[in-house]
Amino acid sequence: MLSSIAKPFAALALAAALISIVLAALGASPLGVFAALGEGAFGNWYACVDTIVKSTPLVFTGLAVSLAFSGALWNIGADGQLTIGAIAAGAIGPHLANFGHAIAIAIILAAGALGGAVWGGVAGWLRARRDVNEVISTIMLNFVAVQALSWVVHGPLMEPSRAYPTSSPIAPAARLEFYFAPSRINLGMLLAVVLAAACYLLLFNTGAGFELRAMGRNRRAATFFGIRIPALTFWVMALSGALAGLGGAVQVSAISHRLYEKLSPGWGFEAIAVALVARLNPLGIIPAAILFGALDNGSQAMQRTQGISPELVQVIQGLVILIILAFDTPAWSGLREQIFGASHDAAAVPPVAEMPDA
Amino acid sequence: MLRANAITKRFGRTLALDAVDFEALPGEIHALVGENGAGKTTLMNVMAGSLAADRGEAVLDGRPLQAGSPRAALAAGIAAVHQSPMLFERMTWEENLALGGFDTGAGALDLEAVATRARSLAAKLGFEMPPAAATVENRSVAERVRLEVLRALSFDPRVLILDEPTSVLAPSELTAFLDLLRSLRGEGRIVVLITHKLAEAIAVADRITVLRRGRVVARTTPAQTTEEQLAGLMIGEIVPQPAASATPPQSGDPVLQIENLTLDDHTGRRILDRLSFRVAAGEVVGIAGVDGNGQTELVELLAGARHPGSGKITVLDGSSGSAMAVIPQNRDLDGLILDMRLWENLILARPLRERVTSHGWLNTSHAIELCGELIERFRIRAPGPETIAGALSGGNRQRLEVARAIASQPRVIVAHNICRGLDLAATAEVHRTILDFSAGGGAVILISSDLDELLAICGRLLIISRGKIREMNPGERDPQRLGLLMAGARD
Repeated sequence: MLSSIAKPFAALALAAALISIVLAALGASPLGVFAALGEGAFGNWYACVDTIVKSTPLVFTGLAVSLAFSGALWNIGADGQLTIGAIAAGAIGPHLANFGHAIAIAIILAAGALGGAVWGGVAGWLRARRDVNEVISTIMLNFVAVQALSWVVHGPLMEPSRAYPTSSPIAPAARLEFYFAPSRINLGMLLAVVLAAACYLLLFNTGAGFELRAMGRNRRAATFFGIRIPALTFWVMALSGALAGLGGAVQVSAISHRLYEKLSPGWGFEAIAVALVARLNPLGIIPAAILFGALDNGSQAMQRTQGISPELVQVIQGLVILIILAFDTPAWSGLREQIFGASHDAAAVPPVAEMPDA
Repeated sequence: MLRANAITKRFGRTLALDAVDFEALPGEIHALVGENGAGKTTLMNVMAGSLAADRGEAVLDGRPLQAGSPRAALAAGIAAVHQSPMLFERMTWEENLALGGFDTGAGALDLEAVATRARSLAAKLGFEMPPAAATVENRSVAERVRLEVLRALSFDPRVLILDEPTSVLAPSELTAFLDLLRSLRGEGRIVVLITHKLAEAIAVADRITVLRRGRVVARTTPAQTTEEQLAGLMIGEIVPQPAASATPPQSGDPVLQIENLTLDDHTGRRILDRLSFRVAAGEVVGIAGVDGNGQTELVELLAGARHPGSGKITVLDGSSGSAMAVIPQNRDLDGLILDMRLWENLILARPLRERVTSHGWLNTSHAIELCGELIERFRIRAPGPETIAGALSGGNRQRLEVARAIASQPRVIVAHNICRGLDLAATAEVHRTILDFSAGGGAVILISSDLDELLAICGRLLIISRGKIREMNPGERDPQRLGLLMAGARD
């Protein structure tokens, strides 16, 4: 038996071994590639900052997904909600020049959250009132959001010279500043961490969060005990959308400063993996998102220095995540409990044998 | 011959079976009786291959059965009907049966043929099948059990093991069901009937094996024993007194008034038809009926989980709807959230949730403390409030549900088939708790398909049939006549 500490490392070792085989088969040096991965992700201050910057949108979308999934609402639409949030932020951003910095930031972030909330809320309303499966509605709304972004940057929000399919840059007042430039570190990640803590408190320390988890575990029982499923469904989807939309607004405010097509490389979809790796625990979302961000960041360095093709980078990412999930046994939960305290996830607790009556 | 040789099975620290020997002969109905947790179901699961024993083996006609393989057991001719129906909720009954032996398995799935074979077998057994292509999720518990029995029989098994099949059957269905078991015996099959209805065991079985706490304590025949003796063997101490006599009717002020309650389903079929009745404080009102006559919907309406088409439910005495506590019939699906902790299940009840919540914040330690007190007070056998509800046995799950209802201090408790699957001791205890509640001025509506239970503790009796309700006069307590009325007879 491997000890509970050794097992996760065994998983990583297995991942490394598998990937080494793939790399060796393609004629690359596994050691060099791993060194480049680590170097690129955490090798120096800028690499670390960049990893954090790349993880930030994943924390927002990961939280959005984990909140909805906790209520068994399968929100596959975080990408669309983030996109609409970004559009709202990008649309209002250029008009905030006359506001103070704090107010402009508050407005642009509120706009993003509102946009995402509307997008998530539509799916929630459809589920609550018309019994439209949210998987279908959120996927469809993703398509609409992506095309809406494409349309606004070619149409109503296109920059004045009309040379590039981008929107006008947002006012400097509405930009989240970089600290220690040229690093891109900004307050977005701090906001994400605060929100993760807030989501954790909401889920596990409030009556509403309890109702949400009860709905997720057993909808019928929740109905019998007077939990108002339709209202809860709507509000959770709206809140989930707001979190994703906020992620879009932070991206616009801090990093991109304008809108362009394909703003999101699929943060809303990667978020599903992030949320599941974190077992839907909002606090677990942060390390999970950083893991994904680090793989993403490190793999770009790998590409540069080792000449690994971008496709292979994705293969490596996929393998790492798969192996982590495959080894997600009670041993992992044990480690998680040491890090985050006792798990609130009942499924993570090993089953107790039936106890006889009397 | 089916034999179990010195079967031992341990769950964690609990010894479920302790070197149990069991045998049943062809052409025999063998009753296996015992309290909840005595190990009956575990023994069945070992013989049917759903569980591997720690020690010992099951042998059919001299050939040991492969441990832990339901497929091998089925191939050898052992079919089991489980207590909690193992059906696919979202599939139609035909599809569910197609997974049994009705489908020839050659080429394309022929649901028509499955349905035809099922209907002809059901006709022989005196069952009626649900309408074509009805999904299981909307069928009553009794219908689900019938489907399971049919599915088991479709394999044409040499051994049929049934776990508490009769607890959900209506009196009118019971006779036909016992006849069915006799005819299976007549064909030379081995029938193992797990039950704690001792009268039934004595009526139908050739031999009886009594289990207590994982050990065989007696092997006997109906001729050599009595119900009292069996009950004593099962419990191993003094038989609990049946709950005190029925409560007198109309002993207090009216608490609940139901007027012209009407409900149609989405196809426009009338489920409940102008229901009107009152319940007074301190009264236990029984609603007798065969499952599927509108009881579930009535409970949903009373719980506020559903809105009536027309009519009114009024809790008198100025209080609002939260004055009602509901114990739904299906504790695993409706009443509890099995993968949540005990204290979380407790605060599912809104009044309790409100008690441990202030300004929206949940006071977890308060909830855990409350749960600990209830575990103690209602003698729920669990390690503590942090236990997952699914780790509790059926009887303890029901204690938790009753504890939750009482703790929410309602004016009215609506309890639906609450003693289904519980043994004598647990049933008596639940009944006593309910009667204590009514003695303290609470009103109780007890909805059940078990007439014995209703006659034992209800002061007033209503009968529900096809969504209509009728009140019985205090004197009308003849079980046979009530049984007929439940089955829909008019006089």
